[in-house]
Amino acid sequence: MKNSLWKVFSKGIIEENPILVLALSLCPALAVTSGVDTGLTMGLTVMFVITANNVVVSLIRHLVNPKVRVAVYVTSIATIVTLAELTLEAFAPMLYKALGIYLALVVVFAIILARAEVFASKNKLFPSFLDGLGMGVGFTLAMVAISVIREILGNGTILGFQIFGEGYNAPLIMILPAGAFVLIGYMVGAVNLHLQRKERKMKERDA
Amino acid sequence: MSDMHHEEKKYSIFQIAMNLTIACLISGVIISGVYYFTHPLAVKNAEMLLKQSMRELVADADDFKPVEGHENWYAAEKGGETVAYLVPGEAKGYGGAVKVMVAVSNDGDIIDFSVTKANETPGLGTKAFEDDFRSQYWGKSSDTLIVTKDPKNTENIQAITGATITSRAVTEAVKEAVDAVLEFTGGE
Repeated sequence: MKNSLWKVFSKGIIEENPILVLALSLCPALAVTSGVDTGLTMGLTVMFVITANNVVVSLIRHLVNPKVRVAVYVTSIATIVTLAELTLEAFAPMLYKALGIYLALVVVFAIILARAEVFASKNKLFPSFLDGLGMGVGFTLAMVAISVIREILGNGTILGFQIFGEGYNAPLIMILPAGAFVLIGYMVGAVNLHLQRKERKMKERDA
Repeated sequence: MSDMHHEEKKYSIFQIAMNLTIACLISGVIISGVYYFTHPLAVKNAEMLLKQSMRELVADADDFKPVEGHENWYAAEKGGETVAYLVPGEAKGYGGAVKVMVAVSNDGDIIDFSVTKANETPGLGTKAFEDDFRSQYWGKSSDTLIVTKDPKNTENIQAITGATITSRAVTEAVKEAVDAVLEFTGGE
């Protein structure tokens, strides 16, 4: 039992990584990963929303009419995001200003609705919580990995600190969405290769 | 979509609608309840942030007073005398409107500006809000506010490589504010 709960949590990190394997929510992965600070903030925001929403959806899963379940889930996501916005605006205005538009965008992220539909609506509270958390961690890690590479290559900085010195002539493409597409493509390939190799090893062992 | 709840129960359209209505109602009640408590705090924060950002623009002023007849205009006062005007400007950027607040001295020179609202590309367009770019504006007057791509031209504003649209938008917004102040003071 313990083992399967760990599986529920950890599958989001590599095997079913939202960005690199499921290829959901690629839009933010392009839009806000030109710097590590914005990439990380977005990742953490999504982690919070996806976990909270999974909990809510799991709690109300028997009350919701299946015909309108998607609409109800979207309402729940929108409510959670709005609450997060209001709270941040009141208690952490600087953070609220920095997050700005990203926060409102979280409402329409496919990965959040997908986890509600695929997992939380069929599972008990605790596994749903773990599933959301794991997916959130996987999302955040992928966002940070992409933004670290893009910021280093495209800007010569990491978290705003110069690392290559003034003379570094950054290739502009890495900051632009096109560069992000190319990079994500390679990363998806790398993860796929890793998973295939792992599967082959498993088969050999079984044989 | 998945067919997990396949009990094939028949629901009337009324039941379905009620289900969604109740969900929205609960959501509305929760949000308005939280809003009731957080809104006063948020307003206070916004005012504080505004004062703070004005103080950063005009460091030596001791008071900021709204200018009558002009919305969102502030006069920075020092010992009862107006030393600068803080005026909003706006122009269309790469990702929508770029709004700035410009501190303009009495004779129409730019002291500094800050971006109050923008949706430019992070890491590229947002460079226009950082000191390196902003410092080009310090002490300039309205007629030198032209964006150039010639690196030898130090009289005008150097565009950021790859973010010309943002550079132009910021310049335009600042210019609008400066011109408005010139008109207001009438070249005293």
